[in-house]
Amino acid sequence: MLDNHPTLSHVVGRAGWYLVTFLVAISINFFLPRLGDANPVDTIMAKVTDGLDAASAKAKEEAYLREFNLVEVDDAGKVKRDARGKPVRTSLGRQFINYLGMSVRGDLGSSILQHPKRVTAIIKAALPWTLALQLPTIVFGWLIGNGLGALAAYKRGVFDKLMYPLALLASAIPAFCFGMLLVYVFGIRLEWFPAVGGYDDGLTPELSIAFLRSASYYYVLPFLSVFLIVVGGQAIGMRSMCIYELGTDYVKYAKLLGIEESKILLYMFRNAMLPQLTGLALALGTMVGGALIAEMIFSYPGLGMAVLTAIQGNDYPLISGCTLLVTVSVLCANFSVDVLVGFLDPRIRAARQRSK
Amino acid sequence: MLLSLMACRPNPLERDDKTSGFPRAETFYLGGRQWGEPSTFNPLGPSVWPISTMNLLYETLLLYNSLDGTMQPLLAESYAVHDDSIEVTLNPAARWNDGKPVSAWDVTFTFGLGQKYKSLNIAPIWQYLLSVRAYDQDGHEAPRPTSDDAYPRRVVFALNPAKKNPLVVLDALQAQLILPRHALEPLFAERGNDLDEFKKLKFEHDTVSSGPYRLFSSSSEKVAVVRDDGYWGNQALHGGKKPAPKYIVHPLYKSNDAFSVALRQGRLDISTTFVPRIWLKADKGVRSWFDRQPYFLSSSIPMLLVNHKRVPLMDVHLRRAMAFAIDYKDIRELSVSGYSEPLRPGIILPFGLERRFFSEEDAQKYGTWFDPERAKAELRAGGYEPAFGPNGELLETRDRDGKKLPTLYIKSPTGWTDWESIVRVVVRSLRAAGIDVRERFVDTSLFWNALYEADFDLIMHTPSTQPSPSKPWSRFEALLTTRDFAPPGQRMYKNIGRFNDPHAPGYLPRIDELLALIPTLTDDDALVSAYHELNALFMQEQPDLPLVYRPDTFYEFSIKHWSNLPSSKNPYLPPLIPGDRLGTNMLWSITPVTAASN
Repeated sequence: MLDNHPTLSHVVGRAGWYLVTFLVAISINFFLPRLGDANPVDTIMAKVTDGLDAASAKAKEEAYLREFNLVEVDDAGKVKRDARGKPVRTSLGRQFINYLGMSVRGDLGSSILQHPKRVTAIIKAALPWTLALQLPTIVFGWLIGNGLGALAAYKRGVFDKLMYPLALLASAIPAFCFGMLLVYVFGIRLEWFPAVGGYDDGLTPELSIAFLRSASYYYVLPFLSVFLIVVGGQAIGMRSMCIYELGTDYVKYAKLLGIEESKILLYMFRNAMLPQLTGLALALGTMVGGALIAEMIFSYPGLGMAVLTAIQGNDYPLISGCTLLVTVSVLCANFSVDVLVGFLDPRIRAARQRSK
Repeated sequence: MLLSLMACRPNPLERDDKTSGFPRAETFYLGGRQWGEPSTFNPLGPSVWPISTMNLLYETLLLYNSLDGTMQPLLAESYAVHDDSIEVTLNPAARWNDGKPVSAWDVTFTFGLGQKYKSLNIAPIWQYLLSVRAYDQDGHEAPRPTSDDAYPRRVVFALNPAKKNPLVVLDALQAQLILPRHALEPLFAERGNDLDEFKKLKFEHDTVSSGPYRLFSSSSEKVAVVRDDGYWGNQALHGGKKPAPKYIVHPLYKSNDAFSVALRQGRLDISTTFVPRIWLKADKGVRSWFDRQPYFLSSSIPMLLVNHKRVPLMDVHLRRAMAFAIDYKDIRELSVSGYSEPLRPGIILPFGLERRFFSEEDAQKYGTWFDPERAKAELRAGGYEPAFGPNGELLETRDRDGKKLPTLYIKSPTGWTDWESIVRVVVRSLRAAGIDVRERFVDTSLFWNALYEADFDLIMHTPSTQPSPSKPWSRFEALLTTRDFAPPGQRMYKNIGRFNDPHAPGYLPRIDELLALIPTLTDDDALVSAYHELNALFMQEQPDLPLVYRPDTFYEFSIKHWSNLPSSKNPYLPPLIPGDRLGTNMLWSITPVTAASN
């Protein structure tokens, strides 16, 4: 039946592959953090054992292990121990089944290090900040970067000579270096902008003029630290794509036909944009992972730091929750691009028509 | 768009107070105690996060002053140490914020939780206690709560004669927050007395507590508490004064650097984070306890723990050679920004309250210090022969049987930059002396397991850091006790290096005897000589390698918005931030810097 609807069959085919990718990804997300020797309870225990004697420390450790379902418990509610006296850890298989069951129900569990806080609550609090920082930087950075790149390729001359090295510089500076430079110059030396935080310490997040004003003011440096790098990278990519397109037959032909310059530019842009579009989708997909470096340098609220501390402390449920979010958004973004490109790119359309 | 954002910059003159939810002149910002959003405010909660605010909400019986060794009254107006018990009398004015009096039953309830639930922090104290009982003013035992009109105010902590140790009980009296029995008991009962269920309560609203502040708000960016103007202690303890700040806010920055920058900009009033080279920030109004080296008041000793179950580390000659080989001055100057007094032998601090237990004579006689020649002499005495290459680099070391010694590794958590730097100095020193040592930085989560299960040759650790009535005894106990001795692979939380195995030849029973004896001594001369003997044994055996002194918590503050904070020139309180034990008391003494004098 699908044979008569090539686009639909394309979409369904892709969807199938994405489903498989999704299953593999969440399995990896689940198993990878649990493969090591480390155990989240060790991290917690380290902070609370000063002054404890062996018996209390053992009781405390067991209480944590039980609470987080990391060990086998016998019928009397006692932690099972092996011959060496070590607690028997719940098998990974059983943990995985629990995890799948909970995930299907939309329950991401509660964090270990921030127990009893729900993983969903942590994500919900951090995600708006991450999106507010990442979405505009990526979208505007992509648009402006590509615009500049195309322009530079087409105009050449002084504009290109100036723009290209600057873009190269911007894209080559490590993000942490650039962020620290911004903090030092504008935050500490000149004191034009605040060096740390997401809004004034004296405020609480709310929909008020004062808060939005403060949040915008605090937004400038973190935004710039990511934005300029995105612009630089995109501009370089677009510039070389466009230079390639400029040399192609259809552009030469169009020029010979005397077609308007702006029209040629538009054709060229459409073709050069396709690989850039995939890049955009990937960036949008991974953005929910947070701008870790900007968050760390500016102490900016967001998911990146949550993920980092979760990984450092082996906070399995929080790691799984965050990676699930990243997985889903990367796959969704890629899927949309796949579908979109299918519509936008005449070559792909044509290829499908031919292969029928 | 950027231009429009620039316009959002507040006018510098109005930057602080205008439109602010927390007026700057009434808000005290503190930092460094809290590194993530508190997940619960349950006083028995599973999380260790909300320490920073807990002491502002709940109160201890007593407060320990680490400057003069006294116990200051809080919920308890007085205490007395008897031969077989410690007796505490509560302040008759002490009230919970719902108006009910703080009674002896609250104390017996709180300590009783530790008897019932072994996983609580208060549980270990019960090995030193027989009972905690409430008595009324006439000396009759008052075991059952009757009414609020006649409530008992005396609590007797009966010491366990088999493990007599008033020191650890005093530690507990100044550390344990007293909880409201009348509010918590019903909550426990509703949950079938199941601790795990009880811990799920978050205590975010309408919490019954006795302290001077109440929880105001908590988010991933900050925790804030607000002053309780009806606080009982204002009249009873502070002459009718209220704490100066209406709000206390702990911003949750994500790195040490962020706290440093905020302190420098006056956004933070006090912090316990590590601020490198603090003298460079003095012109920005940042101060520490001392205004010159060592800047901070040290109370703990970061050291290298030695695994006594590994060859060749059980050899005292090798350990002493290491102790003579390490360049402690380099550690002090290069690794910790000079924030330490010069290191002296042993593990008694040669300054402050512990100085009276420190013996200069023993230090000269038995101690170790940086002296490469003596390091070589110790190596020779142990029969070790290092071989060096043409450029002075260590090739190998052989023992007296001609066997090559294995490379020893020092474990330390990756990313703990001050420790990494210390370890590098140690490695350089030891290799120069002819001991084959290398650094091994491991992931933090793996580090703890390696530590407690003794999976290391040498490892960085700071034992028993907090200044408390039991110092320096608890530091010795943390390093030397053979109680609960377990082989590597099983966990030990004290004597992690497995020194002085009681089942092995060469066991030194005198160390355990002294550890049991010291807490019971009341005669000062006997106490001093017991400490001399124990410290001399440490120097002779050198079971571990102390490296530098360090404060339990750092203490630095800004003079931009608040004045009269304690410092060495104005030492009315020890260097602790508000919310941390006695540090809370500064809130009644500090004053806002007015706009005119700014």
